[in-house]
Amino acid sequence: MIVAFDVDYRYPDGTDAVSGASVRISPGEILAILGHNGSGKTTLGKLLSGILKPTSGRVEIDGTDTRRMSLGRIGERVGYLFQDPGRQLFTSSVEEEVRFALDIQGIAEDRIRHRTEHMLDTFNLLDLRKSFPFDLSRGEKQRLALAAVMINEPDFLILDEPTTGLDVRRKSELSRLLIRTGDTGVGMMIISHDEEFARGHAHTVMEMDRGVLRRA
Amino acid sequence: MVLAVSSLAVAFDEPLVLLTLAAITLATAALFGAGVIGALTRMRRLLGVFAAMGVIQSVFTRGGQALVEIGGITLLSTTGLERGASIILRILIIVVSASIMSTSNPRDIVQGLSQWKIPYELSFMVAVAIRFLPLLREEAEDTLVALQLRGVRLEQMRLGRKLSMYRRLLTPLIAGVLSRAENMSISVEMRGFRAFRCRTSHRHLKFGARDYTLVFATALSVVAVLFWRL
Ligand SMILES: Nc1ncnc2c1ncn2[C@@H]1O[C@H](COP(=O)(O)OP(=O)(O)OP(=O)(O)O)[C@@H](O)[C@H]1O
Ligand SMILES: [Mg+2]
Repeated sequence: MIVAFDVDYRYPDGTDAVSGASVRISPGEILAILGHNGSGKTTLGKLLSGILKPTSGRVEIDGTDTRRMSLGRIGERVGYLFQDPGRQLFTSSVEEEVRFALDIQGIAEDRIRHRTEHMLDTFNLLDLRKSFPFDLSRGEKQRLALAAVMINEPDFLILDEPTTGLDVRRKSELSRLLIRTGDTGVGMMIISHDEEFARGHAHTVMEMDRGVLRRA
Repeated sequence: MVLAVSSLAVAFDEPLVLLTLAAITLATAALFGAGVIGALTRMRRLLGVFAAMGVIQSVFTRGGQALVEIGGITLLSTTGLERGASIILRILIIVVSASIMSTSNPRDIVQGLSQWKIPYELSFMVAVAIRFLPLLREEAEDTLVALQLRGVRLEQMRLGRKLSMYRRLLTPLIAGVLSRAENMSISVEMRGFRAFRCRTSHRHLKFGARDYTLVFATALSVVAVLFWRL
């Protein structure tokens, strides 16, 4: 479970992006966050995934304060999809990108192969395996970033605008995938402008308004 | 001025010269109210790297007196220390110079350069570069976070491996810059950039007393440094 207790966040330049947010992501539950541009959704997502540490209040991932967790340890439990997926791709081919997290852990080659194939297949990336990640379209980058994060089998997923750049078919494929993933007990937070998509999946919908989080 | 000092900084490596240059840069920065303190605190984190450079320089270059020795291998020597210090000072100068540049708004820099008869295409490029530096930093920071979230434990890695991980940041950074440059060139041309050879400008910049003093002082110190060392 990821729990935020009365969290504030102020950027170094003095911008108050989040004030007094309390929220939880439970296993198997899908939480959607709606809100206008600049209302603090991305900041909240980074706080809950431990990328940013709160200015005051605290965030716990399965009972451990994120201030005491390294990013590497967080990454084993939380998968985070950046709003701009281009920023989380850094290898020279689609295949390498997907298997990177397993390569780093030094897992046996045949197991890596197997898992990578499965991920490439799930995200319709088989034909693109040799492509350079930065030449992909936005929707393809999005799928690649998701595959690269989900290969680690995280307990939680925090997705910042996962439907941006996806066409209708890919969006419904993502829908099905998210529902399936949720059924395996993964807790999710979906940040989205797409009210229909968010409401269609979420058990709980919350709204962010100028840094304040409330139930919609 | 900024350019003069930073080029001198690269050209000379005696600590004394560098120290003087650093002092000049700091003074100028203070004069123009640049965010030096912020820049310096950011540098503090790099101090460890510089210390390491000092040690590496000591191990691999002969000369100077040994200060710390283990089993006949010199770990820290005066030459190494000197070189380490030079590197720190040099980077200090470049960082502070950059923070001076960023006090002027990019529009003024374009205008200033154009009034020096530099083609506006060129001055525009300089301004764009300055404008996008903070954005690049932000992107690189996100990529670094993404790397670590995928299980790269930078804090436990040896220097060589760590550097090869940092090298990975370059790919997304360069790809981002290229695509942004492409989009921007399309967008400025569509707004009529370069349709005519000269641009009229509503703004006009004047040299103030402060600027004249500065140019004079810079010229003087450049000449002084050159005489002193050559
Ligand atoms: N690195 C930063 N430094 C300073 N202020 C920032 C930074 N990042 C975001 N902000 C500010 O914090 C506020 C919230 O930003 P955030 O990115 O969380 O909004 P958002 O809801 O995700 O917006 P969008 O819908 O556009 O993605 C905004 O006012 C923004 O300008
Ligand atoms: Mg956002």
